[in-house]
Amino acid sequence: MMRRLMCAALCAALLMPAGVAAPPVPRPPQATPVAAAPRTTLSERVVAYQMDARLDAQKKTITATETLTYRNLTGKPLDTFPFHLYLNGFQPESTFNRERRMDGSRGKWEEKYRGSIEVKSLEVAGQGNLTSAIEFIQPDDHNPKDKTVFQVRLPKPVPPGASVEFRIAFHSKLPETVARTGYKRDFIFVGQWFPKVGVWWRGAWNCHQFHVNTEFFADFGVYDVKLTVPKNYVVGSTGDEVSSVSNSDGTKTLTLHGEDIHDFSWTADPNFRVFEDSWQGSAGPVKIRVLMQPDHEPQAARYISALKGTMDRFDRWYGPYAYNRITVVDPAHGSEAGGMEYPTLITGETSWLMPRGLLIPEVVVEHEFGHQYWYAMVATNEFEDAWLDEGINSYTEVKIMDALYGAGRSMINQWGITLGDADLQRLSYLLVPDTDPLVRSAWQYMSRNAYGGVTYGKTATVLLTLEGLIGEETLRSAIRTYFMRYRFTHPTEEDFLKTVEEVSGRDLRWFLDQAVYGTQVLDYSVASILSDPVDWYAEDREEKDDKAGTLYRSHVLVGRLGDFVFPVEVEIKFSNGETIREKWDGKERWTRFSYEKKARVISATVDPDRKVPLDRNLFNNSKTREPDARATRKLANAWRVVVQLLAQALAWLA
Amino acid sequence: MEMETPTKSVLATGARLVLRSWRVLWWAYAVNLLLGIVAGLPVAAGVSAILNNSFEAQRLVKGFDLGVFLSLLMHPEVTLSTFVPGSIFISLLYFVFMLFLTGGLLADFRQEERLSFGKFLESCGAFFWRFARLLLFHLLALVPAGILYGLLDYGTEKVAENSPRDSVGFWLAQGCIAITALLFFVIRLWFDVAQIRAVAENERKIRRALGKAFRMTFGNFGSLFWIFLRIGIVALAGSAAAAWFFFKVIRPEQVGLSILFGQVIVFFWLVIRLWLRACETAWYQRKFPAPVAFAEAPAPPSPLEVEPPPLPAPPLAAPSDEASS
Repeated sequence: MMRRLMCAALCAALLMPAGVAAPPVPRPPQATPVAAAPRTTLSERVVAYQMDARLDAQKKTITATETLTYRNLTGKPLDTFPFHLYLNGFQPESTFNRERRMDGSRGKWEEKYRGSIEVKSLEVAGQGNLTSAIEFIQPDDHNPKDKTVFQVRLPKPVPPGASVEFRIAFHSKLPETVARTGYKRDFIFVGQWFPKVGVWWRGAWNCHQFHVNTEFFADFGVYDVKLTVPKNYVVGSTGDEVSSVSNSDGTKTLTLHGEDIHDFSWTADPNFRVFEDSWQGSAGPVKIRVLMQPDHEPQAARYISALKGTMDRFDRWYGPYAYNRITVVDPAHGSEAGGMEYPTLITGETSWLMPRGLLIPEVVVEHEFGHQYWYAMVATNEFEDAWLDEGINSYTEVKIMDALYGAGRSMINQWGITLGDADLQRLSYLLVPDTDPLVRSAWQYMSRNAYGGVTYGKTATVLLTLEGLIGEETLRSAIRTYFMRYRFTHPTEEDFLKTVEEVSGRDLRWFLDQAVYGTQVLDYSVASILSDPVDWYAEDREEKDDKAGTLYRSHVLVGRLGDFVFPVEVEIKFSNGETIREKWDGKERWTRFSYEKKARVISATVDPDRKVPLDRNLFNNSKTREPDARATRKLANAWRVVVQLLAQALAWLA
Repeated sequence: MEMETPTKSVLATGARLVLRSWRVLWWAYAVNLLLGIVAGLPVAAGVSAILNNSFEAQRLVKGFDLGVFLSLLMHPEVTLSTFVPGSIFISLLYFVFMLFLTGGLLADFRQEERLSFGKFLESCGAFFWRFARLLLFHLLALVPAGILYGLLDYGTEKVAENSPRDSVGFWLAQGCIAITALLFFVIRLWFDVAQIRAVAENERKIRRALGKAFRMTFGNFGSLFWIFLRIGIVALAGSAAAAWFFFKVIRPEQVGLSILFGQVIVFFWLVIRLWLRACETAWYQRKFPAPVAFAEAPAPPSPLEVEPPPLPAPPLAAPSDEASS
C-alpha cells in the first residue's frame, strides 16, 4: 500500500514538469482530456487488473486468476464486453496462421508452436457465473476457427460512470516462441497472456482478432500482478516489483505493480545476468535494468549506452519519459523474441559475435524504447493505425540514430561499408512504393512485406520528406506537441496530421493526401541538359566551340515520372562556375529551363539539398555533361574480382 | 643440367618450379583476368547508364554506401539475376581451362627443363580426358564429405539449440566447417597425387591410379600434409594481410589502386595453388622415384617427351640420379 502511495506521488511529480514543458497549443475537443482523470494519475484509468499467476516452468503453462474492474466511461450503458485471447492465435486454423500461410510461409506445423489460452470460468460480480455465455466472435474475417476474441453479454447492463468486476480463471499454454511470445529452453517471454478487454473507441467496441501483421490496442489502467515462478528464475516485468517472497515449494512469489499502462508482460530465465543503471530525465530519475544472456554480458554496455542516448534525445526533443523504470531484456538466442515493446519493458537483439560497426543492438534498443512514446504513452490503435506507432517511431529512430552514430552510417559502419538508417527505411519503402496507403488496417495490406515496407519504411520516408518541406525544427516541435497533447490517450491519424498542420501553420493537405492517404509515387528526373552555341550555323563553329566568350543557348529538361506532385528545386551549374536555383511546382509532367550565357550547362540536379527522400529514383535526379565512370569501374572491378576468385576456387577441383 | 638435390626443401623446390613456369602462371592469370573482364562487361554496361552522369554515384566512389548500392540493384537493368548466370558460366569455363592446363603443368613440373610450348600443349591434351574422369571420381569422393558435413551440422545444431550460450553454436559450427574443410583438402591431396601419378606413370586406368595414389597419399600422409599446412598458412597470412591492407590503407576513392590490388590478390591465390601443385610434384618425385631402367625400347613417341629428349629413357622417367635420391 505504501508503495502504491509512493508511486502515486511520483506520478504526480512526473506530471508537473511535463505540464510545464508542454507547448501552449490548445487541446482539440476530440482528445480524451487527461484533466478528467484524478489529479494523481497520468491516464484515464479505465481498467484495473489484479492477477495471480503461477508458472509451470516444465510444461510452459500459466495458471492464473484475473479480476478486472472496468469503469464505464463511454457515456452509455454497456451490456456486451469483448475480450482478446491472443494466445489462441498460435493454432493451426487461426486467422493468424491462415494469413501466415497466405503470405507464403510454408513452415511445417509442430505442436511445440501451439499456444492457447482457455477461460476456465468467468463471473461478473453481482451477475453470477457467465462462463456458458462466452461466445467466440470473428469481427474481421468471420473465420469460425479463430478463437482470439470472445464476447460475453451481461444480464444487466453497466450504467455510464459505473464499474463492473469480472473474475476470470484461465490457463495459458506458451508456444515455443512465435511472434516474440513464448519460450526457448529456459527462457520465457510472456506477452498477451491474459484475457484482455477491448477498447471502447470512436463510439464502439474495438476488439480485433489477432492477425499476423497486427499488434495490440488496450485501455490504460492499473495492474497488480502476483507471479509465482521457480526460485532460481530472474524475472523482469512491466511495472515495479513491490515484494518477493520465497515459498517452501522451491518457488517465489513476486508482487508487481504498474500504473497508467495498457499492457503487462513479463519474462523469466534462470540464466539472466542483471545489469543496473540509472538515467536522469527532466521528469526525474529512471532506473535502468538490463537482463542479459550469459554470452552477451559484454554487450550490456552497448545496450545501456544506446538506451541512455535515446532517452536523452527523446527527453529533449519530444517530451519527458513518464515512467520511473525501463527494463531491457536480452532474449535467448534462437528465441526470435528480440525487438518487442511493452510498457516499461522492451526486448533487445544481439548475438555473441556482434561487430561494433554493425549497430543492431543499438537500433533495436532505440526503436523499442521509442515505442514507450509511440505506443506505451501515445497509445494509438495498432490494429488500424500501425503507421502512427511503427512509422512515427521509425522516423524518430532515424533522427536519433543519426544524432548518436552519424548520418549515413548509423546502421552499418564497418570495413569501409556504410549504411544509414534513413537509407534503410527508404530501401524498405522502395520495395513496395505504391501497394498501400499508410492509413490502412494492418491486416489489410497486400502482404507482410507491404505492411512492413509501408508502415515502417514509407512512413519514415514520408516524414523525412515532410521535414524537408516544413523544416526539421518545425516537425520536431509538431511531434512534441502531438506527444504532449495526446500522451495517455488513443489519438487517430487526423489528430497527428492536424497537429502537424497546426504547428507548421501550413495547409499540407495536398501533401498528406498523396503521401498518407494515397499511393502515388514520387519520381522526378533531369531528362536532358543541352548547350548549343547561339551561332551554331557559323562556318568556323567547330573552332570556336570551347572558347571563352562563346554564347550558348542552354536547355534543361526536367520531368515528373510519377503521379506524386511535389514542388522541387532544380540547381543548374554552368561551366563558368555560376549556379542557378530554379523552383518548379511539378504540376505539369515536365518543364524546361532555358538560358543564354557565355557558358555551357555542366550539370543539373533536382532536389539538390536532398530534402525529398520519397523520390523513388535518386539516380535520375541529376545529370552531368561529363561522365564520371569511377563508380562504374569500382563496381565492375568488384564483380570481376569476385568472379575471378570464384573461378579460382572452382579451379581447385581441376 | 643441374639436378635437384634432396637436401633442398620441397617448398623451395616448388617455388623454383613455379618461377620456372612463369609463362604458364601468366597464361593462367591472363585467362582468368580476361574471363573476369568478360564477366564484368555486362555489369559495367548495366550500371554505367545509371551511374556515369549522376551525382548519386559519388556516394559509391567516396566510400561504399550500401544504401546506394542496394537501391541501384532495385533497377530492372541492374538485377543480379542478369549477371550471375553468365558469371557462373565464365567460372566454369575457367575451371575447364585449368583442367586442361593441369596435365601440361604437372608434366612440366616433373621435368628438369621447361617443356616447349608444343610439348606442353600435347601434355595438356594427353591428360585432359583422364583428368576429367578423375574429376568425376573426385566429385563422388566428395559426397561422403558432404554427408558428413550434413550430419555434423545437424548434430551440432542440436547441441547448440539446447545450450543457453550462442557461442557454443558458433564454435561448433566453426569446428564442423574446419573438419569438413580438412576432409575436403585431404581428399583433394589424394586426387592431386593421383593426377601426378597419372602423369608420372602415364597411367590410363583411373581406378588403378586412384588406388595407388590412395596408398601413396595415406602411407606418407604426414609429409604431404605438412607441405599443405605450411602453404595453407602462407595463404591465410597473405589473405589476412591483403584484407588489412585493402580495408586500412586503400582509401575508398582510390578506385585505380583497388582495381590493381584486387588483381594482386587474384594472382596471389593462383600462385599459391600452383606452388602447392609444384611442391606435391617435387614431393612425389622424391618419395616415388621412377625406376632406373625402362622399357625395352624402342619407346613409343610420347606427347610428354621433354625437350631435349632425355636419351633413350622413356619420356616421363626421372633421371637416374634423381631417382636415387
